Amino acid sequence: MKSTVFAARTGKEIRRDPLSYILCLGFPIMMLLIMSIVDSSLPPEAEVTVFHIRSLAPAIAYFGLTFVMLFTAIQVSKDRTTALLLRLYASPMRAADYVVGYTLPMCVLGLAQMAACFLAAFLVSLCQGDPLSIPAMLLSYLLLIPSLFLFVGVGMLFGTAVSEKSAPGLCSIIISAVGMIGGIWMDVNTIGGIIRKTAEMLPFYHGVRLARLPLGGAMDTLPADLLCALVSGVLCYILAVTVFTARMKKDIS
Amino acid sequence: MNTAIRIKNLRKEFGAKTAVKGLNLEVREGEIFAFLGVNGAGKTTTIRMLTGLSVPTAGDAEIMGHSITKEPDTVKILGNISPQETAVAPNLTVKENLEFIAGIYGFDRAKTAEEMIARFGFDEIRNEKVKTLSGGWQRKLSIAMALITEPKVLYLDEPTLGLDVLARRELWHVIETLHHKITIILTTHYMEEAEELSDRIAIMVRGDLICAGTMEELRRQTGKEKLEDIFVSIVEGIR
Ligand SMILES: Nc1ncnc2c1ncn2[C@@H]1O[C@H](COP(=O)(O)OP(=O)(O)OP(=O)(O)O)[C@@H](O)[C@H]1O
Ligand SMILES: [Mg+2]
Repeated sequence: MKSTVFAARTGKEIRRDPLSYILCLGFPIMMLLIMSIVDSSLPPEAEVTVFHIRSLAPAIAYFGLTFVMLFTAIQVSKDRTTALLLRLYASPMRAADYVVGYTLPMCVLGLAQMAACFLAAFLVSLCQGDPLSIPAMLLSYLLLIPSLFLFVGVGMLFGTAVSEKSAPGLCSIIISAVGMIGGIWMDVNTIGGIIRKTAEMLPFYHGVRLARLPLGGAMDTLPADLLCALVSGVLCYILAVTVFTARMKKDIS
Repeated sequence: MNTAIRIKNLRKEFGAKTAVKGLNLEVREGEIFAFLGVNGAGKTTTIRMLTGLSVPTAGDAEIMGHSITKEPDTVKILGNISPQETAVAPNLTVKENLEFIAGIYGFDRAKTAEEMIARFGFDEIRNEKVKTLSGGWQRKLSIAMALITEPKVLYLDEPTLGLDVLARRELWHVIETLHHKITIILTTHYMEEAEELSDRIAIMVRGDLICAGTMEELRRQTGKEKLEDIFVSIVEGIR
C-alpha cells in the first residue's frame, strides 16, 4: 500500500515534467524518423544495415531506455536533496517501499516508451511497403524487459550514490557509451579492436543484438545474449536496491 | 497529567563532536513545550532522535511509553514532524500532498485531506501546485501534512521561520487550537513565540539542557522579567 501510494506520487512527478514527453517519447520517435530517411538515401551498395527499420526499431527502443535511466537518477537524487524525504523517513515507509515506488512508474514509462517506438516503426515500415511482423515486434518487446531493469537499476544507483548535479552527467556517459558501443548507430563488428572488445564485455551490445533477433538475426547469439541481459539486469537491479537500502540506513543513523 | 515523552540520558555524537550531551527531560501530555538555543545547540538533533530520523549514541526516550530505540516503528506512528526546512512535494497540489501523506500512513485519503483543507483554510488553493505558493502557505501545508496522520506528539522545528508577522500570528493561532489536544514540541529562535505559545520552555546550550520550566520558574531562577533577558543571561552565564 505504502509503495503504491509512493509510486503514484512518483508517476505524477513524471507526468508533470514536460521533459519526460520530449525525451522519452518525442526523441526516440524523432530519431527513428530521421534515421529512416537517412536509410532511404543510402545506396544499397553501402551495405549499411543498422538503419533498416527492422534493425533500427529495436535498437532505438533500447536506446530510449537510457532516458528512463536518466529520469530515475534525476528523480531519486532530487528527492534525496529535499526535506520531503526527511518527512518520509519519519513515516513507517520501509526501504522496499521506496524501491518499489520508484521502480513501478519508471517501468511504466519504459514500457510506454518502447510501445511508442515500435508503433512508430510499424507505421514507417508500412509506408515503406514492407510491414514489420507484429509477433516479432512483440517478442522483441519482451526481450527488452531485462534491459529495462538494468537501466532502472543504474538510474537508481546513480541517483543514490551522487548528487542531483552529478547524476545527469554520469548518465550522459552511459547514454553516449550505449550509442557508441551498443551497435545502435553502427555495426560494432566492422570496427573491431578495443572498441569491439569493450562492447563484448558490457551488456549494451548484447542487449541490442538480443532485441534485434526476432526481427532478423542469427539464432546462434541468442543463448549468450539472453543470459547476459538477464544476469546484468538482475545483478544491477539487486545492486541498486542494496546500495539504496544501505544509504537509507546511513541517512537515519 | 500523564507523561508523553520521557527522555533519559539521550546522547548523540557525530564523530568527535557531541551534538546532544545526555539529555534528561519529561514532557507532559497535552503540553506545548519549547526548545530554545543558539544555532547548533542540538535542538534539531534532539527532535530527529525522538522521531526516528537519527539513532541515539546512548540513552533512550519513551514516547507515550514506547522506546525510540526498541520500538522505532511504533514511535514513528505515534509522532510526526514538520521539519526545519519546508517538506512538501513541489509538483503536487495542496490536496495531493495531503492525500499522499495520509495514504502513506494508511488513512482514508480523500476524507482526511478534506478535513485538513477545511481546518487550515486551504479551500481556495487546494488545486494549486505547491511550488507556486508563498512561503507562509507552504509552511502551513507542511504542518498540516504532519497533523494529518493524527499524531499524539507533534514536532515543529522552527515552524514560523521566514514568515511575515501576519502569517506568523495566523500559524500561532493554528498551534493554539491544538493546545491540550496533542503534545507539541516546538523549537524557535523567536522569544515572543515561545512565550506566547508554550507551557514550558527548555534552554539548550552546546548540547546541554541548562534549564527547563514555566516562564514563572525561569523568571524566579534568573531574576529577569523578559524571556529574551532570561535567555541571554543563561546562555552568557555558562560561557
Ligand atoms: N549529520 C551531522 N553530522 C555531523 N554533525 C552534525 C550533524 N547534524 C548536526 N550536527 C552538528 O550537531 C550540532 C547540533 O546541530 P543541530 O542541528 O541539532 O542544532 P540546532 O539547535 O537545531 O541549530 P539551529 O538553530 O541552527 O537549527 C551542530 O554543531 C551540528 O553541526
Ligand atoms: Mg535546528
